[in-house]
Amino acid sequence: MTPPVGFLGAFGDAVEFIFNPQATRFTGGREVGGLDQVWDLTVTHLEVSGVALGIALVLALPLGVVLGHAGRGEAFAISVGNSVRGVPELALIAFVAAFIGFGFGNVAIALMVLGVAPILTNSYVGVRQVDRDAVEAARGMGMGDLQIITRIELPLAVPTIMTGVRTGAINIIATASIAPLAGVLTLGDFILARNVYGDDGVLAGAILIALLAMTVEFSLAGLQRWLTPRGIKLARERAAA
Amino acid sequence: MTPLVGQVEIRDRSEGGGCVAENGAFCFDWAVDNFDRYVTPILEHLVLVTASVAAGFALAFALALLSHRRRWLVPPLIAGTGILYTIPSVAFFVLLLPITGRGTITAIIALTAYNLQIIYRNIVAGLANVPAGSRDAGRGMGMTPGQLLRRVELPLAVPEVVAGVRIATVSTVAIATLAFLAGAGGLGEQIYSQLDFKTNIVLAGGLCIVMAIAFDLLLQLAQRLLTPWEPAQIRRRHAAGADDVLAAPA
Amino acid sequence: MPGESSHEAVSVEYRGVTKRYQGQDEPAIRNLSLEVPAGEICVLVGPSGCGKTTAMRMVNRTVEITDGDILIGGTSVRDREPAKLRRETGYVIQQIGLFPHRTIAQNIATVPALLDWDGDRVKARVRELLGLIGLGPEMADRYPSQLSGGQQQRVGVARALAADPPVMLMDEPFGAIDPINRERLQNEFLRLQAELRKTVLFVTHDIDEAIKMGDRVAVLKQGGVLAQYATPAELLMAPSDGFVEDFVGADRALKRLALMRVSDVDLWQAPLAFVGQSTAEIRSKLEGAEVPHALLVDSERRPLGWLSDRDLARDTVPAQPDSSSDPLLDRDDVLRDALSDLLQAEAQYAPVTDGAGRIAGVLSVEVVSDFLHSPEAAVEEAPAAERPLAE
Repeated sequence: MTPPVGFLGAFGDAVEFIFNPQATRFTGGREVGGLDQVWDLTVTHLEVSGVALGIALVLALPLGVVLGHAGRGEAFAISVGNSVRGVPELALIAFVAAFIGFGFGNVAIALMVLGVAPILTNSYVGVRQVDRDAVEAARGMGMGDLQIITRIELPLAVPTIMTGVRTGAINIIATASIAPLAGVLTLGDFILARNVYGDDGVLAGAILIALLAMTVEFSLAGLQRWLTPRGIKLARERAAA
Repeated sequence: MTPLVGQVEIRDRSEGGGCVAENGAFCFDWAVDNFDRYVTPILEHLVLVTASVAAGFALAFALALLSHRRRWLVPPLIAGTGILYTIPSVAFFVLLLPITGRGTITAIIALTAYNLQIIYRNIVAGLANVPAGSRDAGRGMGMTPGQLLRRVELPLAVPEVVAGVRIATVSTVAIATLAFLAGAGGLGEQIYSQLDFKTNIVLAGGLCIVMAIAFDLLLQLAQRLLTPWEPAQIRRRHAAGADDVLAAPA
Repeated sequence: MPGESSHEAVSVEYRGVTKRYQGQDEPAIRNLSLEVPAGEICVLVGPSGCGKTTAMRMVNRTVEITDGDILIGGTSVRDREPAKLRRETGYVIQQIGLFPHRTIAQNIATVPALLDWDGDRVKARVRELLGLIGLGPEMADRYPSQLSGGQQQRVGVARALAADPPVMLMDEPFGAIDPINRERLQNEFLRLQAELRKTVLFVTHDIDEAIKMGDRVAVLKQGGVLAQYATPAELLMAPSDGFVEDFVGADRALKRLALMRVSDVDLWQAPLAFVGQSTAEIRSKLEGAEVPHALLVDSERRPLGWLSDRDLARDTVPAQPDSSSDPLLDRDDVLRDALSDLLQAEAQYAPVTDGAGRIAGVLSVEVVSDFLHSPEAAVEEAPAAERPLAE
């Protein structure tokens, strides 16, 4: 049991672990930790997350947008989003590991499922919430469906859709943390293989995962700001004032 | 009590006969015979969920009352409670260990943190959606702000609040599977202890999902009992949680 | 000082009331002074943004007064605690604002509950009010969402009356209702007022509603400036300036007709004919008569029809006249409606009967026109509650 008072020391040791390889009493002399290993695990983490997010985007975004444009399938789009909330990540990864098998591909597909839900739901809702009058006006001016989607609905739906993408990304990154259970060594390995990395490693893993998640979130938030049409930004500022 | 992280219990599975030895997808007989092994994890899990949702609700309610007449507080509070979302639960449980030690309390703290934003947001939205006419009428008839809140605004905010609690509860059931990282047991502990045994995964995972559904239905029932005035179609809309499509904790 | 269950209406007086909002140069209300006598309906009317709603809301302090004072029954509203003041003032708003989560009975009982009335008293009062607004007792346990718009508004009025306040504030209460039901609601409220005699401040943007509902009408300009404060008749006959004249509308004369009954007018007389009478007699009566047509009546002097020249060419008056007596008007008819019937039937003359159906006189467009130009047209107004209602 680590006493609460010494937590600063514990964090200090963890940071030490990140930067310098060290031998722990568990590994019997073999060195673990250090920036190289951290880098490797981080890259794997990002790879599997990126692939999963990419596939999720390709599948869910167009589907959600088209459904939202047509106004159909609301029950489906919304309930998919809600039901995934209840899926325990551990059970998902364990299921993949035991039933489907270890491996990058299997894990990526499992993660993709977690990403699809919020992206689908938010794409649908984002497009659906676009001012119907604006769409009618566009239709009246002779715009075809594709043009309406690309020029009006998508730009106006960016905030909601991007929020869904961010949620999906964070879900994926978080679940990728326990991918080591299915053989894909991500940053979560530091936490799950305590007997290898020791307490310092565990804490280091947590710090690294948190930092990674916050960085991704921050970047996506920036991307969202960049993608949001200026008119909407102004309207929001005025509304908030 | 709970096994240390990283250790895998080695169980003797020879008693299960053919299904277990072959690690079939779901060995019903084994599940029935050994169900008592799951009882403690189920109870631990229930405690984690109810305690953290209750705590999250209490805190969110206090914050909502605070920001009710001071709307400028809402954005910073939402941002503040939202920061915690970004940190994956795996990391959060572990990060708390040096600060609050191992055990159920630590896990509850983490779970409460994840509940906070969604319940707070829904309470605020619920209060904001009270029809302006009802508020004007109540005030104009001589209700003090406190009476208005108790008699008009809060009752009318119930659907939205319960929707928030439902979403939070379902999420918490899922996140609590990782509570074992903080030494708090639960169904996740059970999964982790026998990762390669398919029946275990199906059973423990299935129990999680069943628990989530059970809570969800229970809360839907509670909402129906608390709002006898709502016409059916509005109740269905609230039930779908369509109003809340934003971030969920991971 | 109005007590908890004052049954006596009190006057409401504005004294130099000004309302200034922060950050705005021009005051929303500038130096408004008027007095509403006890038991009367004062309608505040004017274009959008003129401040009429603000002025009304200052009475129960849902908007605070910047300068000046408002006195209810001689006591300043500023001396009273707002919540208490509001419990003694009836408040009806355009959105109605019924509490969706409470039954009709609970809604009506809102202020009595705030005043801690005991259960039985509340129940009795709710029953009484439901009857007053014409809803059956089974409605008490329904929810607002189960009622129509018109029914909801009536419940809103009942709710405002629940604690029997001496003063009622009504802000476009019938604005959200369709025109047909609006008329019914207006009529019902006037009937109520005839019984209850509250002091009412009624806000509307509709000049016709103002004329129909008001004992006195205050026409407000931008900035809450009082353009004219007078009875509806004075408003129609003598608008104080161009603004009021424009606001009242070009059809002032026609509007006045809505305020009167056929009986207010001096009717012309037509020569009466009975069946079997000698037509020579009739023909001689026709010369110099006000109405140059003879009206056939029965032994009870009830009109049967007009006699044509062909009818009069015979020796005696026939039983079946050539022309019918339509349109048949009644003395109690609203003058405007009577004129409307006349014009629609494209008739020049219409017989007017009394309550028993007997002929009282004849109405024509010229009769109405003569009347409007005569000095008697400057007639004493009956209070709004007793004026004819457009049924």
